[in-house]
Amino acid sequence: MKLITCIIRPDKLDAVTDALDKQHIVGMTVTDVRGFGRQKGQVEHYRGGEYTIRFIPKVKLDVVVQDQDAEMAIATIGKVARTGNIGDGKIFVIDVSNAMRIRTGEKGTSAL
Amino acid sequence: MVNTLLEEPRATIPRASGGDARERSSMKLVVCIIRPESLEAVKELLDKLQFVGGMTITEVRGFGRQKGQVEHYRGEAYTIRFIPKIKVEVAVQEAHIEQVMTTIGSAARTGRVGDGKVFVMDMRSAVRIRTGEKGASVL
Repeated sequence: MKLITCIIRPDKLDAVTDALDKQHIVGMTVTDVRGFGRQKGQVEHYRGGEYTIRFIPKVKLDVVVQDQDAEMAIATIGKVARTGNIGDGKIFVIDVSNAMRIRTGEKGTSAL
Repeated sequence: MVNTLLEEPRATIPRASGGDARERSSMKLVVCIIRPESLEAVKELLDKLQFVGGMTITEVRGFGRQKGQVEHYRGEAYTIRFIPKIKVEVAVQEAHIEQVMTTIGSAARTGRVGDGKVFVMDMRSAVRIRTGEKGASVL
C-alpha cells in the first residue's frame, strides 16, 4: 500500500476530489497547512511597499491506495492540480506497511 | 537480516560501492484517523502503554467509502463531503505495533461508519531536538 501525500492549492481541492472519485479512489484526509517551495513565498505589494508572505496557505491531501493504483492516482492528482504557475505543489509517496479499518478490525488492503 | 529490536542505529559507515549507508532501525509511525469524540479514550489508553512516549494530534477533514454524510435541512438533503476528524500520530518500535493497533481500535471503535482507520509506516530515523540523541531512545 502507498500513502500519496500531496500539497496542493486550496482552490484545487474539489477538482482533485472529483477526479479521484471518478477513478474509484474514495477515502482521503485533508489538512489545512502553510508552506513554501524554492521561491520561498511570494512578494505582495501594499501601499507602495513590498512585503514577502513566507508561508502560503495550502491543502495537504492524503490518500492511501493499493500499490497498483499509485501511478494512476499520482497522474490524476498532478493533471487536475496543475496550473503551470509557481505554487502548484508537490506529491510524495510513502510506503504503508499495514492498515486497519477501526470499525471492523479488518487489516491489510481490505482496510482501504 | 535479523532485526534486533533494542539495537541502537549504527553510525553511518560509507559502503565501498559509494551508496548511502542506512541506519538499521525498527521504528514505525502509526497514523490514525479517528472521530474527534474518540480522542480522549484513545489518548487515555495509549498513555497506559509504557512504550508510547507521546503523540501528536492534528485537526483534519476527511471521508471514506461513504463519501461523507447526508444531512437534512428544512426538508432538503445535502451532503457534507469532508467530515471533521482527528489525526493521531505515535512513533513506536516494531514489536509494539500489534498492541498499539488493537488499543487504538478498541478505544476508537463505535461500530458505525466513520470510525476511521489506522496506518503503519516505516520510520527511518528519529532525533530528540533538545539533546540531539538519535534512534530508539527517542521514542
